[in-house]
Amino acid sequence: MVIVKRKTLSFSERLYLPEIVRGLSITFRKMFAKRVTRQYPEERLETTEVTRGQPRLVVNEDDSIACVSCGLCEAACPAYAITIDGQETDRFIEREPERFDIDMLRCILCGFCEEACPKDAIYMSDELELADYSRAALIYDIEKLKRPKSALEQRIGYVNKINQRWQTPSSTS
Amino acid sequence: MNEILVWVIKTGFIFGGLVGTAAAMSLAERKFSAWMQYRIGPNRVGPWGLLQPIADGVKFMFKEELIPDGANKWVFRLAPLLAAMPAMMTIAVIPFAGRVELFGQDFGNLSITDLDIGALYVLAIGGLAIYGVILGGWASNSKYSLLGGLRASAQMISYELSLILTILAVIAMTGDLDLRAIVEAQNTGGVWNVLEWNIWYQPLGFMLFVVATFAETNRHPFDFAECEPELVGGFHTEYSAMRFALFFIGEYCAMTVMACLTVTLFLGGPSVPFWAAAPWFVGFAAFLVKAGFFLFLFIWVRWTLPRFRFDQLMHLGWKVFLPLSLLNLLATGVAILFRGGA
Repeated sequence: MVIVKRKTLSFSERLYLPEIVRGLSITFRKMFAKRVTRQYPEERLETTEVTRGQPRLVVNEDDSIACVSCGLCEAACPAYAITIDGQETDRFIEREPERFDIDMLRCILCGFCEEACPKDAIYMSDELELADYSRAALIYDIEKLKRPKSALEQRIGYVNKINQRWQTPSSTS
Repeated sequence: MNEILVWVIKTGFIFGGLVGTAAAMSLAERKFSAWMQYRIGPNRVGPWGLLQPIADGVKFMFKEELIPDGANKWVFRLAPLLAAMPAMMTIAVIPFAGRVELFGQDFGNLSITDLDIGALYVLAIGGLAIYGVILGGWASNSKYSLLGGLRASAQMISYELSLILTILAVIAMTGDLDLRAIVEAQNTGGVWNVLEWNIWYQPLGFMLFVVATFAETNRHPFDFAECEPELVGGFHTEYSAMRFALFFIGEYCAMTVMACLTVTLFLGGPSVPFWAAAPWFVGFAAFLVKAGFFLFLFIWVRWTLPRFRFDQLMHLGWKVFLPLSLLNLLATGVAILFRGGA
């Protein structure tokens, strides 16, 4: 059982007015307090290395994509957002995706694809905005997913740093 | 110049000023609300969002008007007009400033008209505002609207009593129902004209009047007419587009008139402190500053006090305000009797 003790009000509190004046003075002071609003399209949030935005494909220096279409990310994806069709290529890596689609409406930005990738070909970028006029436009294909390595550097560095925690010297390739 | 032309110019000026103030209040309300909540408020339309009322107006014009199926269509259309009209009518007798002379032309006193029974006129017409609210609530054929309308009318009637009784004390002091005479009695000349303001003789009446105006205009903390968590939107739940806007314009106009009335009755109207013979434009500016403060107070209190419970409101109205205003009137009468004459 809880006994609630009713506080007996003093005379000035029962009059309301002094307390109202006190309240008014508080709200008046707050008018000049620091604003917390962020003017979004002009003022964006600063992204940090831990920002886990939308997944993007890494493009090598020679404009080829690093993906070998092994399908590990497709398998790891909990939301079934990734669809990959592979094809042969004359390049040293022998396989590359013919089609690599991420349905951004399904993607939950979990980063499992990034973890699964054995070729460091997919990374979570710092891009967070996702809006379009149709569902079809939000299924991103290779061309929309391609990003040069320089654009993803911050995240790549962070992932490498984290991975080093459980990498033994012999297991590095 | 033609007397009718002068009259038309004055009416246009004051009426335009009232509607303009209502529009400005809709922006000020949002701006001050935002500032008191650490926000910025509307700032996209024009510099600092100053053109927001125009954007709102255009939006209201182009929105679709909905009339509920079971509504009484005729009354439904009439109610917003009835809600907006009384406030616009009562502004006619507010004495904004003294004799205006501009371009060598005598415009007479700056008020649409100086009725001999100005105070009575304000109360009589102001009381009509209830009809707009309760008819709007009833005609909507919605339980929320009906309850909102009923509450609003119950509240307005209970507080109108103490409002009238406090005004009565002021009238008894002046001995005149003419608002112009009440203003002039508060500024008879001399350096210490501030001390002639009724607020010093009627401090209790002033406080009762100000609180009653909050209840009278259905503003926080007495906004039971539109109490959102209980009644959705109150009497204007079913209204949309320009008819909805009319209710808002009516509310803001009523606030403006009440602020003007407070200034007229208790703060000497256009009387400038320490400058009894100030020219009309200085007096007018003084009036605007004083009225502006009370308009700000409406917004200020809104973000300070939580809404009352309905029974607390009725308790306050009938068991506290009514006896206090009667006491105030009695004390005023006794004081007049012993000092001899008004």
